[in-house]
Amino acid sequence: METRKRAFARGLRSYVRFLATSFSVNLQAVIEYRANFAVQFFGMMLNNAAFALFWGALIARTGGIGGYGFPDIMFIWALVSTSFGLAHIVAGNIRNLGLIIQRGELDVYLLQPKNVYLNVLCSRTVVSAWGDFAYGFIVLALLPGFGAERLALFALLSLSGAVIFAATFAAAESLSFFMGNSAGITAAVREFLLSFSLYPETIFDKGMRWVFYTLLPSGFIAFVPLAVYKSLDWRLVPLLGLAALAYLGASYALFKLGLRRYESGNQMGTRI
Amino acid sequence: MNRYLLRARKYGVAAGVSLRNRLAYAGNFASSMATYALFIFVFSRIWTAVFAASGPAIAGYDRVMCIWYFIVAEVPMFGFGHFFHTLAQDMKSGQVAYLLGRPYSFVGYHYADGMGAALLEAGILLAEGILLGGLLAGALPLRSLVQLLAVLFSLLLAGSLQFLLQFAIAMTAFWFEENTAFFWIFQKIALVVGTLLPIEFLPEAAQRIVRWTPFPSLAYAPARLAVAFGPASGGLLLEQAAWVVAAAAVCRLVFGVGRTKIASQGG
Repeated sequence: METRKRAFARGLRSYVRFLATSFSVNLQAVIEYRANFAVQFFGMMLNNAAFALFWGALIARTGGIGGYGFPDIMFIWALVSTSFGLAHIVAGNIRNLGLIIQRGELDVYLLQPKNVYLNVLCSRTVVSAWGDFAYGFIVLALLPGFGAERLALFALLSLSGAVIFAATFAAAESLSFFMGNSAGITAAVREFLLSFSLYPETIFDKGMRWVFYTLLPSGFIAFVPLAVYKSLDWRLVPLLGLAALAYLGASYALFKLGLRRYESGNQMGTRI
Repeated sequence: MNRYLLRARKYGVAAGVSLRNRLAYAGNFASSMATYALFIFVFSRIWTAVFAASGPAIAGYDRVMCIWYFIVAEVPMFGFGHFFHTLAQDMKSGQVAYLLGRPYSFVGYHYADGMGAALLEAGILLAEGILLGGLLAGALPLRSLVQLLAVLFSLLLAGSLQFLLQFAIAMTAFWFEENTAFFWIFQKIALVVGTLLPIEFLPEAAQRIVRWTPFPSLAYAPARLAVAFGPASGGLLLEQAAWVVAAAAVCRLVFGVGRTKIASQGG
């Protein structure tokens, strides 16, 4: 029993080291092109800020939308931006997984002594995601009641949101194992999950809200975290963590199931 | 044949080729159609929630007007909003040197090439929007054939202005290696000023400033004509036409100055 525990701890440490190395290498690669990094970083923040102006102008006229005030809307924008950014910083290949499967380019990851799912997802970062990631913290700092406790809570909520984003996108991309080309479904899942997460839950009919807690989990990414953040109720945080792990597990299971159907493209590939 | 007609014909051919290219990959429309539909659905819910809470009208707009406003305002943004990347790529890849040797105007060729495909996409999106608007808000509040023609003409002017402004921004590649940030800034201002919500919703000081810029001509003008056609509508069309002429002059000027920086190495 003790030996098994030690082996598990050793394996965990090895994966933490592996993820840290992947992150470091990816970071060095994007910082090499500093001007491009700066343009994409600030461009993405500008993109998000444009919507803040929209909400500011609208709520100044109406006082609130569906029970959401301006700080509530800004909080979900902050949280979704940071979660989405974190998912694409750490696991930037979630955008390309479907194409990699479709082209039969998984061989290079299959031959390496690390979990294929983690290895392929974490082997790239997305430059503009750094802008998303930073934007959330900037908005959070400007919100009323900001302090150390709320910052810690926000960081944890972002982490579970990032895992759910990555798991859901990876699951949609994994459909390429079964369909060949899943680009249409993947694009729809991305757009719908992101869009539903960025607007007040209450504007949607009650009949469709079940979707937010199943197929397109905006509820766990934005709506429940908003309630947790407003009430500072830490008891729900572990439950959100469990929800994130459940989505990750389901996504991994789908990937493993699909991997049995994988057909190599017989291409020469290297990772430098 | 009249030499002006002959000149126009080659641009017609360029537009036709671009249109056929776009039709050959009809599946490419699916992505923008799905995103457009999603946005219409989400914004129809937003406007429903807004008016449920704040009464029947805000700044002269009711719920139905706001939904139709959004549907029409998004057509130029989705249909004509993506010229920049192709143009900027032509500049950076050196394709510009190849095109300069051809017997046509560089600006005119790109306009025909870009607009040929974009008009088709805008037409498809408009049809989709009319269908979705009918389901979500009721029939399009058109009162006459004149209003319909004014909206269509306004959309054409909005598309032309989109092209010309994006062309001018893409031409900054003559001076700046990385100019995508300029396009992003342009795109986001265009989104906030008159696309996501009518200009009348902005604070008064902001309204006064934006009316001196070309941004209201990009989406606000056709959307306003669709939902509130009246005596002032002719002024909006004239304003759009004036901005198109001004933007065309800026494009010629920027390109004229920028082309002196091209160094062709052969090969």
